[in-house]
Amino acid sequence: MPEASAVASRVPPSKALRGRINAVGAAVFVLGLGVWELAVRTGLLDFAYLPPPSDVVVGLGELIETGQLQGALAHTLFVALSGWALAGLLGVAAGSVLGLVRPVWRYSMASLEALRALPIVAFVPVAVLLYGFSARMEIVVACYAALWPILLNTISGMRTEQRLIEVGAVLRLSRPAVLWKIRLPAATAQIVVGLRLGLSISLVLTLVAEMVGNPAGLGFLLVDKAEALQPAQMFAGVFVVGVAGIVLNALLMVAARLAFRGQLNAAGEGG
Amino acid sequence: MTRSSEPTGHGTGSAAGTDSPGATNGTDGTDSISCEGVGVTLSGSSGALDVLGGVDISVARGEFVSILGTSGSGKTTLLRVLGGLLPATTGTVRCHGSVVTGPADGVVTVFQDYVHSLLPWRTVRRNVGLGIEAGCDRAERDERVDEALIMVGLRQRADEYPWRLSGGMQQRVQIARALATRPRVLLMDEPFGALDAMTKASLQDQLQQVQELTATTVVFVTHDVEEAVYLSDRVLVLDGSPAAIGLALDIPLERPRHQVTTKESADYLRLRHRVYEALGHDIGERARLGEHDHA
Repeated sequence: MPEASAVASRVPPSKALRGRINAVGAAVFVLGLGVWELAVRTGLLDFAYLPPPSDVVVGLGELIETGQLQGALAHTLFVALSGWALAGLLGVAAGSVLGLVRPVWRYSMASLEALRALPIVAFVPVAVLLYGFSARMEIVVACYAALWPILLNTISGMRTEQRLIEVGAVLRLSRPAVLWKIRLPAATAQIVVGLRLGLSISLVLTLVAEMVGNPAGLGFLLVDKAEALQPAQMFAGVFVVGVAGIVLNALLMVAARLAFRGQLNAAGEGG
Repeated sequence: MTRSSEPTGHGTGSAAGTDSPGATNGTDGTDSISCEGVGVTLSGSSGALDVLGGVDISVARGEFVSILGTSGSGKTTLLRVLGGLLPATTGTVRCHGSVVTGPADGVVTVFQDYVHSLLPWRTVRRNVGLGIEAGCDRAERDERVDEALIMVGLRQRADEYPWRLSGGMQQRVQIARALATRPRVLLMDEPFGALDAMTKASLQDQLQQVQELTATTVVFVTHDVEEAVYLSDRVLVLDGSPAAIGLALDIPLERPRHQVTTKESADYLRLRHRVYEALGHDIGERARLGEHDHA
């Protein structure tokens, strides 16, 4: 991407991290776990298959011990990230063209709107039919799902402020230079928003594809453990999915801040 | 529209003729930037609007010319035409002899809204370098950027982001960006219009110094009469609808000018008086809005 700023954050990382941890919020979370544990142990919550958090921890240990978790997590992450990365390339490229070339936008917008209105989940059986029970099918689904937010945010980010375009004209920048030095950096903050939304939806659709299609990864693990009546392990899987989503988003934000410090600061999203 | 169908061939010298009100006073005989019979019709929601009609201007090299006019008189439109940002409906614009069809080489426009004109993701230094990155190697670029920043007194703030600076400083960054390209003509669209009075005065003096140093031709659009008289070699007042040059007034005040003493001099006050009159501020009467027969 253009304008990559090599300057890393000037705040030392340990201090920055400490500033980001919300002690009160964490305490509430721990308290919630405690209440859950208590409610299940005392019989206040009476479901046949609701394990207390302590059992979930044990279940997590079992999953790690058998190596099921590592395999499933690696598969799901590989698929979700591949689909997302593909969507990132396609979405930013196509979004730039759609945002910049008026006729292309006019000819394709109706089709795009129609496709977008189709719930993405409805696309999963289609993909299964086309690509079979394969990782490729999952990647196609994840990519399709992530493409939309990335594409739409790129298109809207490309509507650069007219004055900046005039600045480029007045300084006699070439057309590629206007795109590279003005339009793309001006759109960066919004493209990053699209990438974040795309990443989380790519993970969601990967799980769905694994639940109803390809028997692999975390999605299949959840369904499999539920059917095998192992709620502790199933909840452990849910927990891992949640953590994976949070970690992926955080990693993306750190990477974006390192790469596009100036652009994100300018948009009020810097760290 | 008196001269709308003049030939558009290349030519140097002041083709506008000495009898027209906007003609050059010919400081050294060669035009830097000029326009003949320029008319602009803009299509708006309420139909076509004739903004400018038959504007003749000829600016000599190194001259400082201000364009004044009431709000909505077409000053900015005229500057955009000169800068090649807006095509003239009729007439031609020439810059150093060639007909202008887009932003010309060596002509840089400085906009009023500095906030939207700077790239917020670039530091001051990289903003100033924007226009010379393609044509210069790194060493020359750094040298020219430093030179421009020193001229506007922002050498110390080179590594800040523009949005961390005050409004006056941001406008100086935009001026430095223009200066770094070593322009022959600087077109300034109410550059100090959004600044407070003290900042404005200090930037006026800085601009005066820079122009003295670089001998750049300046066309300066403003609605501030005092500013126009204080800075200029010549003041042009736009008048009428569609607007044309209503008054062209030479400002033969001694240079360098001084905010206090120049503005106290009888000559200054007399010139200022004439400009106010041309803008329709009749003496002893409140300013009227609308159409006027100009002086």
